[in-house]
Amino acid sequence: MLEVSNLGVCYGRHTALQGVSLHVEKGEISVMLGANGAGKSSLLKAVAGIVPAEPGTEIRMNGRAISGLDAHLIVEQGIALVPEGRGVFGELTVEENLALGAFAKRARGSEKSTLGLVHELFPRLAERKRQQVRTMSGGEQQMVAIGRALMSRPDILMLDEPSLGLSPLLSKDLFKSLKRIAVSGFGILLVEQNAKLSLKIADRGYLIENGAITGEDTADNLRHNPAVINAYLGGHRGNA
Amino acid sequence: MQIIVTGTLLGGTYALIALGLTLQYGAARIMNLANGETLVAAGFVAFWLFTALGVNPLLGMVLIAPMALALNWLIYAWLLRPLVRRAKNRGMLEVDSILATFGLLFLFQGLMLLGFGGGYFSYKFLAEPFLILGEPYGLNRVVAFVAAVIVASLLYLFLYHTRQGTAVRAVAVDPASARLVAIDVARTAAFAFALGGALTACGGILLSTFYTFNASMGVIFTMKALIIVIMGGVGDVRGATLAALILGITETAVASLIDPGLTLAANYALFVLVLLFRPQGILGRASA
Repeated sequence: MLEVSNLGVCYGRHTALQGVSLHVEKGEISVMLGANGAGKSSLLKAVAGIVPAEPGTEIRMNGRAISGLDAHLIVEQGIALVPEGRGVFGELTVEENLALGAFAKRARGSEKSTLGLVHELFPRLAERKRQQVRTMSGGEQQMVAIGRALMSRPDILMLDEPSLGLSPLLSKDLFKSLKRIAVSGFGILLVEQNAKLSLKIADRGYLIENGAITGEDTADNLRHNPAVINAYLGGHRGNA
Repeated sequence: MQIIVTGTLLGGTYALIALGLTLQYGAARIMNLANGETLVAAGFVAFWLFTALGVNPLLGMVLIAPMALALNWLIYAWLLRPLVRRAKNRGMLEVDSILATFGLLFLFQGLMLLGFGGGYFSYKFLAEPFLILGEPYGLNRVVAFVAAVIVASLLYLFLYHTRQGTAVRAVAVDPASARLVAIDVARTAAFAFALGGALTACGGILLSTFYTFNASMGVIFTMKALIIVIMGGVGDVRGATLAALILGITETAVASLIDPGLTLAANYALFVLVLLFRPQGILGRASA
């Protein structure tokens, strides 16, 4: 569904990504593992149209070329990003944040049913409709961010370090919710530092190092891959 | 009591003018120093429509507001969008837009001086007494206040109860996130700027029904609007409305109790006090 080939991103003279190719399908979770600064965030931002991709990049969504489109038009093509730091509208209420999520034309018709789905996933958001988002806890704000992204009825949901700053318990809940989201038919592209939890829910994974993809495999195989265990799973096979 | 009523009536019109500026600054990030010129120009058009064609200024509003909307949209598209494009950050856009609209101020002022000369203008519209609690007030002022309340309520309904209005607020609080929910930030900012201009024009029309004005008076109203916006907290619609009422009452109190020549001085005294004690605005919260 989402196909990226030969993606390059440069910030001035610094090359952040080079020759990156990947694909994400409906209903499946792909996780992107890599160290800080490996280019994971740049990858998501380039797909979302927030940072420009280098010439030669090809990004296709459902067969249509989308590289070079403005960020707001990419949402209309069915790609939603939950950015690092969440990017919620803190001054606005939960209800308003979710309503804005459905601002995309593709989402307006089904707004009510999507809202039902979001409330079912995160009942807390239904209880706190009128609360200003900035007064909520980190975990609740993350729910708002994910809920808002889902409201745009994306085919692909991209998440940048969603568990950052959350307690282990909250992270577990969050990953459970992501699994349920994938089961309801959304494709998920996940960038995570928490390799253990994310490989547990993922179908496939990519390894990214110094701005290039260095490996791709099923999540099961990655969990038992000695290099992955050493680099991301604490080095003890038993922990994986 | 008379002071409070007169001040509140005046504050209603001030609120419209300030709401225009706060929309332009809050959502479009343009500190529009030529805002007062939009106001005076609208006053002139209302004057001309009334004296030459006998058009009721309230009816004139229906005509002038869309014109102001279109004109401000063009100003944004031609003059300000290049600045927005090249600005690397918000601070740079602020400095550039202040300089550009400062120039625009003199251009508009010059055009109006050319067209209408430097003399003072006023026209008689509903200049008859209206009793509130047994005291007489100008009916034109009461009507202007009621019209201001209606326009401001419409704006409030739009901003808080429609999808497009919520999008304007989203762009005001976080433009980077707004594009992630498919909002066309550039278009929304242009629209907010245009809408702000239309509101200020409405304020100008209402003001012209009871106020004597001339071509070079825009600056004073830009200043008043600025004071109100900063007092109310930048981008805060409710704060601006409250600040406008406070300013209206203070002006009236100083003018009737001390000396009419001191109203501007009172404006600034109030402004300094707010900056000293509530720099985040009267309703604003301290930034973290």
